[in-house]
Amino acid sequence: MLVRDVMTVNVIAIGPEMPIRDVAALMEMRRVRHFPILEDDEQGEARLVGIVSDRDLRAVDSPHPSARPDVHVSDPVRSIMVTPVATAHPDDAAEDVAAWLREYRVGALPVLDGEQLVGIVSPPDLLAALALPAAIREPSSVLEVEVGNRPGCLAALLQTLAQHGLNVSQLTTTRAEPEIGCFIVRVNTIDAPRVAGNLTREGWTVLWPEPDAAPPASPQRGPEVEEVA
Amino acid sequence: MTRPRTLLVDDPVLERSPFGSSHPFRAERGALTRALLEACGALHQDEVADVERLDERLLGAVHEQAYLEALIRAGRGERVDDARMFGLGTSDCPVVPGMHRVAMRAADATVSAAELVASGAAQRAVHLTGGLHHAHRARASGFCLVNDLALAIEHLTRRRGLRVAYVDVDVHHGDGVQGIFWERADVLTVSVHQSGRTLFPGTGAEDEIGAGAGRGFAVNLPLAPFIDDAGYLAAFDALVPTALSAFGPDVIVLQAGADAHWRDPLAQLSLSGDGLDAVYGRVIDLAERCCEGRMVVTGGGGYDAWRSVPRAWARLWARLAERELPDELPETWRRAWGERLGVSLPTRLREGTLPDLDARATERAASHALAVAKRVAARLTPLWRRED
Repeated sequence: MLVRDVMTVNVIAIGPEMPIRDVAALMEMRRVRHFPILEDDEQGEARLVGIVSDRDLRAVDSPHPSARPDVHVSDPVRSIMVTPVATAHPDDAAEDVAAWLREYRVGALPVLDGEQLVGIVSPPDLLAALALPAAIREPSSVLEVEVGNRPGCLAALLQTLAQHGLNVSQLTTTRAEPEIGCFIVRVNTIDAPRVAGNLTREGWTVLWPEPDAAPPASPQRGPEVEEVA
Repeated sequence: MTRPRTLLVDDPVLERSPFGSSHPFRAERGALTRALLEACGALHQDEVADVERLDERLLGAVHEQAYLEALIRAGRGERVDDARMFGLGTSDCPVVPGMHRVAMRAADATVSAAELVASGAAQRAVHLTGGLHHAHRARASGFCLVNDLALAIEHLTRRRGLRVAYVDVDVHHGDGVQGIFWERADVLTVSVHQSGRTLFPGTGAEDEIGAGAGRGFAVNLPLAPFIDDAGYLAAFDALVPTALSAFGPDVIVLQAGADAHWRDPLAQLSLSGDGLDAVYGRVIDLAERCCEGRMVVTGGGGYDAWRSVPRAWARLWARLAERELPDELPETWRRAWGERLGVSLPTRLREGTLPDLDARATERAASHALAVAKRVAARLTPLWRRED
């Protein structure tokens, strides 16, 4: 998954000369926490020169130890912006960016394609994207199956499910021990215990749900379906 | 003043499963329960109402035409190329000749029950083989082809102008009904179920609250496996009564699936027979408080089909019709139906065996459920404040 797929593209950028007071008002109005700051270079091209966060703004005229007594709310935002700016590229992996945010201890990364600002990526964007594999796509039951960590083990499980006429809509893994993989599979049936029972009888170790005990001794003498007038 | 009347809607066709006799969905559960009630003297001939024929236009208001056509063609044995796209021809909803007719008769029966209540012919009406809450607008799912509940709710709201609170205590999330009324403010859907993280169909998370005009009018209470009677009821009480009294329904539609029972082979909650009975009782009390007792009641899931289900639904009927049931179940019923179904039927109304509960698991599930119920109530209460 790439940054370009998860980033916020409607990014609001400001100029470095905007007074801090106005920046704070704009941030409140637009309900965001970061503004990338753009300034034209000699060729007249907009360049990213800094970033300001709600925390930087709150440090102005504040009793907090991090306060900046030298700065006034009428000063330009240039006086408090953070520079240089940590950035991401649209083709960075979203998973990597999640780690960088922790590493740099920042709340957002502007996304630059070359010198051009194309978006901004923040934890809510990443959380939504990274939680996607757990989202429910279609009506399905969960099976948790132990699968050996060897070539073909997972293929065999999927083959078995296919033979039972089941469609797999999701597949995730939690690999606690190196020798055993535990796969979480979502299949399109309400009757997961029966599937678990069938898998168990075929030699699989099913951790969830508890398999049904035996092929149900279902009475076959119930009324048959007939044509109804 | 006339006595409040409770009617049972029934028809011989309803004894058949749309999917035939080797499928786990047991349509005979309704007939088995009815026979038990008759043997106990708790259901009289004049309390059984016939099924009225459904208005086709109602079907079109709930299901997409392309799906209905696929369902009918498949049921007639004609070739349907994209059957699986419509959820047909799967292991849950195999294609069986005539299935569409059985499914539509079940829908007729639930709509008939709704009309009995809307017209005032009955205060409460019951259809035990209804409750097919997994059927979506354009997709069969989880043993359900036609969403009889949605049809009944559509009839009550659009034709009769009533506000409907739908309460679904089946162990599975009522996804079909919730989806069909997702953007409607005149239908409150409430589903209490085992969490989708561990059970079919996967949806029913607490943050599913409806959208557009219907924002706040879908309520979900997902529960962890192994929750017991006390945990379930405490969470239910922390959310459902507030939701219903804030909404102010004219009628409650109850999907009374019996699969939250500890013996149910398809799910993992740990309610006892008494617990299930208490849950039904809660909803009946709420109907008394909110809407003069008016209720449309269906069955639903319940796959411990011969032991838990007939006892649960017989007790449900006894509550609705204000009857007493003997603890010792009639030998005539046990013999006749035991032989017919090839199973051994229970001797007593109240179960002798109780679930073997792991105290830590039930405690954790209860504590979690109460937290979820309070969160959902806190989040939705501001949305329930009506402008008018």
